[in-house]
Amino acid sequence: MKLSTRYNRVNILTASIAVIITGIIYYFFIHLILTNKLDKDLAVEENEIIQYTRIYRKLPLPASFLDQQISYRDSPGNANNIRNFSYTTLINQNRNEPGRSLVTTVNLKGKNIQVIITKSRVESEDLVRVILLITLAVTVVLLVSLFLINRYVLSRLWMPFYKTLKRMKAFEVTKMEAVSEVVTKIDEFIELDQSVNAMADRVKQDYKELKSFTDNASHEMMTPLAIINSKLDSLLQTEPFTAQQGVLLQDIYQAIGKLSRLHQSLLLLAKIENNLITDAQEIDFKILVESKVRQFHELFKRDRLIIDVKLDDKVLIMSRYLADIILNNLLSNAIRHNLPDGKIFIELSKKALVISNTGKNLKVKDKLFDRFSKSTESEGMGLGLAITKQICNLYGYQITYEPMNGMHKFSVLFGPEI
Amino acid sequence: MKILIVEDEQALYESIFAYFTDEGNVCEHAADFDTAIKKIELYSYDCILLDLGLPGGEGLEILSRVKKLNKKDGVLIISARHSLDDRLSGLDLGADDYLVKPFHLSELKARVSAIIRRKNFDGNNIIKFNEITVDVSAMMISINSNPVILTKKEFDLLVYLLSNKNKVVTKNAMAEHLWGDEMDLSDDFDFIYTHVKNLKKKLGEAGGKDYLKSVYGIGYKFSEA
Repeated sequence: MKLSTRYNRVNILTASIAVIITGIIYYFFIHLILTNKLDKDLAVEENEIIQYTRIYRKLPLPASFLDQQISYRDSPGNANNIRNFSYTTLINQNRNEPGRSLVTTVNLKGKNIQVIITKSRVESEDLVRVILLITLAVTVVLLVSLFLINRYVLSRLWMPFYKTLKRMKAFEVTKMEAVSEVVTKIDEFIELDQSVNAMADRVKQDYKELKSFTDNASHEMMTPLAIINSKLDSLLQTEPFTAQQGVLLQDIYQAIGKLSRLHQSLLLLAKIENNLITDAQEIDFKILVESKVRQFHELFKRDRLIIDVKLDDKVLIMSRYLADIILNNLLSNAIRHNLPDGKIFIELSKKALVISNTGKNLKVKDKLFDRFSKSTESEGMGLGLAITKQICNLYGYQITYEPMNGMHKFSVLFGPEI
Repeated sequence: MKILIVEDEQALYESIFAYFTDEGNVCEHAADFDTAIKKIELYSYDCILLDLGLPGGEGLEILSRVKKLNKKDGVLIISARHSLDDRLSGLDLGADDYLVKPFHLSELKARVSAIIRRKNFDGNNIIKFNEITVDVSAMMISINSNPVILTKKEFDLLVYLLSNKNKVVTKNAMAEHLWGDEMDLSDDFDFIYTHVKNLKKKLGEAGGKDYLKSVYGIGYKFSEA
């Protein structure tokens, strides 16, 4: 529920309840006041009648005015000194009107006579009705205006907030534009906007620093490696060598190759973790797997591995570079940790990519995806699966390992289709 | 071929220079941004080897200057920066290729040769070595006009060796060239040996001489001697 809707609802509800309660109280008080006033008038009248009878020793004429009637009747003997206010109806020109009467007794020549004074309540009723109507009208106007204010003014007031929110959602660290400059006069929103912009700037600054750090680190470490490699290549052209020198050179090349691959892998891990790889695109995974199988063909053949490939169509949105790396890592793992004359099954479905291979039993099952964890006989660096896992994390895929009848089974679950 | 090497690292420049200069290639050197700009404005090159991080300026700037001058020079970026957007922006700006440091000089040579062949496309996309003729664009090989059927990898290997003729090429470099450096190759290169053996056999059967010599387990050399 939106804040304005919620606020609106609460506001209107409390306002209505408050208005209804005050309305009721108002009505009763006015009613009470008016009745009191009527009763006082009746008492004045009573007093006049009593005075009159005391002075003139007779009853005043039973008068019938427009809004006041007085009548007498003999009081039943025992009902002495009755004084009673009550609501009655007043018959005025053959019309029934609400009235209020006072029944009292006067003593005339030793005889108790009941006097009934009745006054019309029409005026006061009308007054109450008019007041009630005015109150109702005011209430309705108040509620409607409250509703309108909430609905239009509030939502306009919150507009900058939603704008900022929208821009924050659209914020991408790799793009270099500022988050927003929302025009508003509300202090809180100005502050929010400023904080968001400051945060975005900080994030961008961090991103830039990180990027330049990885770039510089890569440059500084790669340069000496590049020099060693090129010097070795130059040295190689100054043959002849003895077989022994050849072996030494080969070993140096091997070590350099390993070092630069290690370095590239670590850089890649850092980049994936910091979300620096952003070239997501549609990739036909089936075609990619097929081409990888072709690419690895010689390696399969060398180890006399039997390949069983079962591929469905599957399109993924990810970086081509990273897709390549996942497949490279999983396939070269399957080759490297295989037995001679072993088997590799590759299965691609809508849901998952499953690569299983025959191989020796593993000791480091739980740490398989950790960095630098590898079995002692492995000649890899122990980074391949860590990188694969990071890539999977990046795209929300799930990678699992399970041993199954002497097979190692790696599954990449692609997760729900978007 | 006339090649400009824009590289601030003296040691690396020297190796590249030594690797390229025999066989009649002319190499020039620019160690900083300003020299490089001056050189590209004054002269034309078949290929410019461009390092990205330079004293005095950004290598990509030089690339866009070359493009602005409407020069036909081929540009190969050599950089230690592995980041993908650098690679993409380099290629977007019109670089012909991108090679990440550290690289094998033989790989550099093969790429430069490919760029130059592509630049001189009109009828010149053919490599000749004595009786061997390779039409790179048509992927055809003939020896004394007899066609030789090679697999894709054997073909790539032959072109690679021809680009580096008279040089010792390591097995590591060959493997990386054929399978890509991102593939985490295991340390034994028996499968290279198989390819080389097949290539030798096919060339020999078609009447070619045996130019491909093994160099003490390190690698191979394609040469007459």
